[in-house]
Amino acid sequence: MIAEDLISTCAELERLELISPTGEATAQEYAQLLAIYLCQSDLCNAKFLWKRIPTSLKNSHDELSLIWKVGQCMWKRDYPAAYSALQVSWSDNVRHIMLALQDELRTRAVDLIANAYSSITVSDLSAMAGINDREAERLSNARGWIIDAETEMVHPVRPPPSSHVTTSSEGQLNKLTDYVSFLEN
Amino acid sequence: MTLPQLLPMAYQGGVEPMQVDAPPEDNDNSNEEEFYIVRNPTLDLETYANSYKSLARLHRLMFIATHCPSMRVEALKMAIQYVMGTYNVTLYQQLHKKLQETVGPSSAANLPDVAGGGAQSTSQDIPAFDIHWVESKSKKAALKLEKLDTDLKNYKSNSIKESIRRGHDDLGDHYLDCGDLSNALKCYSRARDYCTSGKHVVNMCLNVIKVSVYLKNWSHVLSFINKAEATPDFSEVHGKDSNQTIMTRLKCAAGLAHLATKMYKPAAKHFLQANLDHCDFPELLSPNNVAMYGGLCALATYDRNELQKNVIFSSSFKLFLELEPQLRDIIFKFYESKYASCLKLLDEIKENLLLDMYLAPHVNTLYSQIRNRALIQYFSPYLSADMRKMASALNTSVHALEDELMQLILDGQIQARIDSHNKILYAKDADQRSSTFERSIMMGQEYQRRTRMLILRSAMLKNHIHVKSTTGRETGQSGDAAQSESTTGQRAGRGDISHSGEQQ
Amino acid sequence: MVSGLEQFVNAVQTLSSQGNYTDLCDVLSKSTEVLSKNLQHLDNVLETLDTHQHSLGVLAVLFVKTSNLPGHPAQGSGAAESVAHSETKTHDVLIFNQFQNFVDKCDSTQIRQAPDTYSEVCHVVTKILIDQKRPHRGIDLLKRAIRKLQKHESQLTGVHADLMQLCLLAKNFKPALEFLDIDICSISDEGSQSEAKYFLLYFYYGAMIYTALKKFDRALYFLEVVITTPAMAVSHIMLEAYKKYILVCLILHGKVLNPPKYTSQVIERFIKPLSSAYHKLSLAYNSNSCEELQQCLTLYAETFNRDGNSGLAKQVLASLRKKNIQRLTKTFLTLSLSDVASRVQLPSPRDAEKAILNMIEDGEIFASINQKDGMVFFHDDPEKFNSPAALKRLEEEMERCTELDRKILEMDEKFLVNPAFIKKQQSGATEDDIALAPAMSGQGSSTFTM
Repeated sequence: MIAEDLISTCAELERLELISPTGEATAQEYAQLLAIYLCQSDLCNAKFLWKRIPTSLKNSHDELSLIWKVGQCMWKRDYPAAYSALQVSWSDNVRHIMLALQDELRTRAVDLIANAYSSITVSDLSAMAGINDREAERLSNARGWIIDAETEMVHPVRPPPSSHVTTSSEGQLNKLTDYVSFLEN
Repeated sequence: MTLPQLLPMAYQGGVEPMQVDAPPEDNDNSNEEEFYIVRNPTLDLETYANSYKSLARLHRLMFIATHCPSMRVEALKMAIQYVMGTYNVTLYQQLHKKLQETVGPSSAANLPDVAGGGAQSTSQDIPAFDIHWVESKSKKAALKLEKLDTDLKNYKSNSIKESIRRGHDDLGDHYLDCGDLSNALKCYSRARDYCTSGKHVVNMCLNVIKVSVYLKNWSHVLSFINKAEATPDFSEVHGKDSNQTIMTRLKCAAGLAHLATKMYKPAAKHFLQANLDHCDFPELLSPNNVAMYGGLCALATYDRNELQKNVIFSSSFKLFLELEPQLRDIIFKFYESKYASCLKLLDEIKENLLLDMYLAPHVNTLYSQIRNRALIQYFSPYLSADMRKMASALNTSVHALEDELMQLILDGQIQARIDSHNKILYAKDADQRSSTFERSIMMGQEYQRRTRMLILRSAMLKNHIHVKSTTGRETGQSGDAAQSESTTGQRAGRGDISHSGEQQ
Repeated sequence: MVSGLEQFVNAVQTLSSQGNYTDLCDVLSKSTEVLSKNLQHLDNVLETLDTHQHSLGVLAVLFVKTSNLPGHPAQGSGAAESVAHSETKTHDVLIFNQFQNFVDKCDSTQIRQAPDTYSEVCHVVTKILIDQKRPHRGIDLLKRAIRKLQKHESQLTGVHADLMQLCLLAKNFKPALEFLDIDICSISDEGSQSEAKYFLLYFYYGAMIYTALKKFDRALYFLEVVITTPAMAVSHIMLEAYKKYILVCLILHGKVLNPPKYTSQVIERFIKPLSSAYHKLSLAYNSNSCEELQQCLTLYAETFNRDGNSGLAKQVLASLRKKNIQRLTKTFLTLSLSDVASRVQLPSPRDAEKAILNMIEDGEIFASINQKDGMVFFHDDPEKFNSPAALKRLEEEMERCTELDRKILEMDEKFLVNPAFIKKQQSGATEDDIALAPAMSGQGSSTFTM
């Protein structure tokens, strides 16, 4: 739900920037847009947004650089650094987005670990997820990952591939008819 | 030519200088031949040399002299002895020069080096450079040339076609005897206009092929083989026996040309068609060569069935294999899947093969292809194979085997995956269903891409959009503008595209 | 003098009200001289005309104004520069506002009668914005300007290239993508000398935007369009596009694909020899050795830098690393991380782990890392094409193919009833644009393989 919210905010912010008489947006708008791009993992656009924000705004608004700091860490895929860059008391303007970004990052990291590791040390797990070892254990248990206390290794389990696509058989039949009629002609 | 001049060069140890004086006709291919030394050949030089005649013998002896220090003196001596029976004065001088370079320092400076022992004993019977022979032989050659020339002129004035043809041939023979290959080739080719029968044409072709082989002009060789084979009534004119000889000779020349141009499979095919009973052309190849060249090319390029059908069960090639029992064993071991001993035997004969002027440049390639075949065949019946056992069966280390297998898998020659952890090779069945899906999706996307491009292109052509040549003010300007535009764009793009844009 | 202007205004008003745009265009093309002589009165003329009703007239005035701007190309006299400077600036602002007003109010039907004039004005406005270093201000304006001129959204206009250039300079690509993502089916007929230039520039800039956003597939498509444009002479745009084509090909496919057969000879004969550093790079790439590639990059660093391609060249190196890891996944079931590191020339097993992790995240390989034993297990693509998702994907692809095929058939039919085509076919003559038709019908029916 939050994602959809962000998409419409994002489009609105992009529009505002373009139609403003100067062709530039305010620092607050830039900060929100930058944070939203990061939230959407759209690092390319975030990078170019950062590049086009006027230097004067960057100098007068430190928060912009702080947000981009997170972006840089994400670009390097340095999860631990990204979490620590996120430990800032954000202004009301972007706080909700940055919190969403933190959640987003963590979800991505944990999903990646589930996909990419058959065994991983507890410390690596907690570093990548940005949590402490106790929380890491809790997270492992919640996901049904086995922890080998002796070696301090966690054995993640691959999530089953999710499938949500459902089509009515009537729709299928329609499509089939279309193909056949296309091929016949 | 004098001794003092040669001394400084000879001091280099007689390893390198040999190359410098290689006969000019060898230079064409010399850049692709690496210089190497064969230390322990097991070759009976005398028997070897006696299987060849004419320049074939001389070239082969010189090749051995170049690559095998231990046989150098003997090879040069034999060559000198043989060359004295010809009019090839130039080669005689070259050979002597080389001989002096080799034996010169040890006898002259009296160095107590290791090689000295061998050289010393031979140095007594080193043939001396015979200046009288050179002079008289040159004179005789000139005289004979003059006579042949006059003869030819006479024939020409009498316009007797057959005599003119013979005259050309004789002249060619003489040039060949003198070692003047390019003139020999010219004379033989000129005979072409005076051929009155298929037999003559074939004869002319054979002469040209012979010289072209010496010149290593392989495309020439192949085209004249075609010409000979395409001669009408080629099979009728000759008696059955001589026809067989010509056929075999052509097949062998074709095999040689293909081998030299790295077409190993066609080379094998041609050599395998040779007939031992009619394989008598020592100025080209020996029957042993045919066996070795054909056998190795077949091993390197034939699959198991082809090998069985065309080599093992071939009654005619079997006779050739009897001449080279080691090769016969190698082929049979390979066929019986006894790869370790097969590869071991191959290694044993490698030194000798490296002294064969035609085979040497291809030995490594052929060997690695044979190895690959062995690997592929070894694994073919298995679902999984222990790489340690595999390595020992193929005389190699597990690590080297892993590298070899990796290459074969990437080339698609083996469908398998390596379990490097447990050192096991697993066969992998291709998932036909998935790959079909994948392919069709890719094909569909390619279709979309091409069709979009096509639609765009038709719009482009409809609007006559094309880059015009810069004539006149207008277009010249647009060209300049284009440049400045693109550089502006570049400036814009430079930062954008740089990959490391994260810091700043 | 003034009477000439009056005549002009009268003609515009009467012909516009009659809707006789063809004649109006004729009149306008003849009035350029009159207008140029009365530069100082042109603003008054603009006031007497209604932008919507007399769009063509206003356009003609704007055209003359823009092509006679003080301080712009033709008039670049050095003497009174400083004085002229501020004047130029206010003048530019005025033009900009007049143009903005025009774009918002003009009548599409009218301006489509004079697309070349319209594009020309856009080019000048673009240039002004770039000179003022304010490219971002023009993005929204040009977007609207294009929409006014286009007959349909898949039509390419001369203004497209301007928008792309502004977006590149402003580093704002999302507005550009709205246009770039739509495949071009037709081109507005502007008949001007530099039509080819703006065509090439659109695709060249578009390719640059796509590479910046790492959408290499699309970038390659755009570059291919540039290098396959018919050519009788070397275009610098084409040359630069060819260089980028090589780099993007390597990044995307790991090898340089041969350009299609219909590519102009100019590429082979003149452009290839001019891009030798790039060919060396692709040779080094073929060796699969990162070391060799790195050497080549260092050797030609200056060339790549000068061409503005050093960033892309660096990505070529990264792509070779990835390709080498992908090769491993094709040959191994398991491999220790240290072996991975040594085989792809990475400094440590930890770097290898990181590289593999990143590739897994991007879906470029399928593997699982075992930190306990320091091993990595490579898997096959888990896609088995037996899920509803796979079916959906197939359906979408098929739909797209069907759609394209319909389009081709439509074009084919149009060709078949084209009088020029019928005539040519009867006389047996073939010309490149005509020859395309049968080729296309062939494509339509035979290449469709799904």
